[in-house]
Amino acid sequence: MLEVAEISKVYGGRTVVDRVSFSVSKGEILGFLGPNGAGKTTTMRILTGYVPPTAGMAKVAGFDVQDQPLEVKRRIGYLPEHPPLYRDMLVRPYLQFVASIRGVPRKQVPSRVDRAIERCGLTSVGGRLIGNLSKGFQQRVGLAQAILHEPDVLILDEPTVGLDPAQIREIRHLIKSFGGEHTVILSTHILAEVTATCTRVLIINEGKIAAEDTLERLAARGERTRRLALRLARPGDGAEAALQALPGILRAQAEDGVPGGFLVEMQEGQDGREAVASLCVSRGWGLIEMRPITLSLEEIFIRIIQGEAA
Amino acid sequence: MRNTLAIAWREVRTYFTSPLAYVVISVFLVLSGYIFWASLVRFSELCLRFGSNPYFSSQLNVNDMVVRPLFGTMGIIFLLMIPAVTMRLLADEKRTGTAELLFTCPVTSGQVVLGKYLGASFLLLAMLAVTLSYPALIMNSGASPDAKATLIGYLGVLLMGLAFLSIGLLISATTDNQVVAAVGTFGALLMLWVIDWMSESATVTLASVLNTLSAGLWEKVGWGLGGPTLGELLSKISIIEHSQGFRKGLFDTQHLVFYVSVIFTALFVTQRILESRRWR
Repeated sequence: MLEVAEISKVYGGRTVVDRVSFSVSKGEILGFLGPNGAGKTTTMRILTGYVPPTAGMAKVAGFDVQDQPLEVKRRIGYLPEHPPLYRDMLVRPYLQFVASIRGVPRKQVPSRVDRAIERCGLTSVGGRLIGNLSKGFQQRVGLAQAILHEPDVLILDEPTVGLDPAQIREIRHLIKSFGGEHTVILSTHILAEVTATCTRVLIINEGKIAAEDTLERLAARGERTRRLALRLARPGDGAEAALQALPGILRAQAEDGVPGGFLVEMQEGQDGREAVASLCVSRGWGLIEMRPITLSLEEIFIRIIQGEAA
Repeated sequence: MRNTLAIAWREVRTYFTSPLAYVVISVFLVLSGYIFWASLVRFSELCLRFGSNPYFSSQLNVNDMVVRPLFGTMGIIFLLMIPAVTMRLLADEKRTGTAELLFTCPVTSGQVVLGKYLGASFLLLAMLAVTLSYPALIMNSGASPDAKATLIGYLGVLLMGLAFLSIGLLISATTDNQVVAAVGTFGALLMLWVIDWMSESATVTLASVLNTLSAGLWEKVGWGLGGPTLGELLSKISIIEHSQGFRKGLFDTQHLVFYVSVIFTALFVTQRILESRRWR
């Protein structure tokens, strides 16, 4: 549905997007995750045809963004970071205007507008001035504007920014409901957003793709841990040294502030848990807890951004 | 076509949901109405005083003394008001981010420019249409103005207003600040208005200007130093110069062509400015 090959964007000598490639298939919800200024917005603007890439090629539904921009634009719905609203218009006429410039057939305009208003929960504000609406409602009008013409690809730039928790939940629910029939790309710098809505995540940092995976596989990375937390009832003297001497154990260290607590680091590719357990039992240290330290998605994200292997 | 009309219609709606259209139209009507009334009063006074004198009464002409000054006044009011009408058009789209909507919709930049232009033109037409009532008021009185000359005068004012709008739109495309757009437009229009004040004194020929610029190369090639003067050129690009004929009720295609070219050029450059977003 969407294919991006080696796109780059240079603004005045500064490379904002650096040879980014990815593809999204129909019905997927792709999360675009990265810190502020990572190049998320620029990448999305390239996909929507708002700015041209300096190099590389992007295709939406088989149409090149550069060569057939109108065909591409017909197939996408786009919610920019700041919802593009005419503050001096009423909600319904605004949506009617967008519907007609998005190429919705004249006869279908009223029904499409009604449907978008209903889906985005705007029924109560249809006749109000956009400029007088709260931030949450404005964001929803922005979303309604993007889904009006039932686009194949929906591109949402930070769709939940500035909303209260209840509104965030509603919007996420709405986005999830688009998956399956539409392809959705959403950008965010909030990890929870990705976990809540996306099927696949693409982490971007300093204009480059830092990681690309499904959520399960990304979470699994955290479980492939090399560290153990150990708790002993009666650790004898020299427990640290004895643990460290075991095959497959890199380092063992008493944990500060936890009586009988140890942190054990295993060698890459070796599982030393069995050896540790039998040692503790044979020495009569009283093994009361042994648990692998897994990384939360948050920690994985931070590590990836910082360029460490998770 | 549908896109262009949708954009134009949205523009018209915005004019009429904000106070702008009402303020612009009413100020225009008050000013032009007052001046029309004042010249009409003066005209009737002159008629009363000199109507019995056959020599003077042949000089009294309602077209020359009432209708023509009206068109001159309208031109000056346009000069002051058109910047307010056009400043918003493109500058505000960029400032509020709605440009991102327009340029990610299946709409070409030409359609955007044309839509905006048509929307503003509608406001101009509405302003002018109401003033048609002034000459209509005196149509059936003894001092009936010549309908053909009046309509040609209107055509001239309309063309001038349309040219002003296109220049305003062009300047609105270059900035995202409405005040900058308004001041820039006013400056550009005033410059085009007064540019022919030099026409009498600038007697240097264009050829010799080009000769100086090309460090004497022009003369060596043998193109000569004669021909039209700089002043003649300046008077040709003065936007007011071309409306004089229309005001007198004379229709001349060269002036029509001038205004149409100004409009076309300005809209074309505006479209290129919008497209230039792609080069950056």
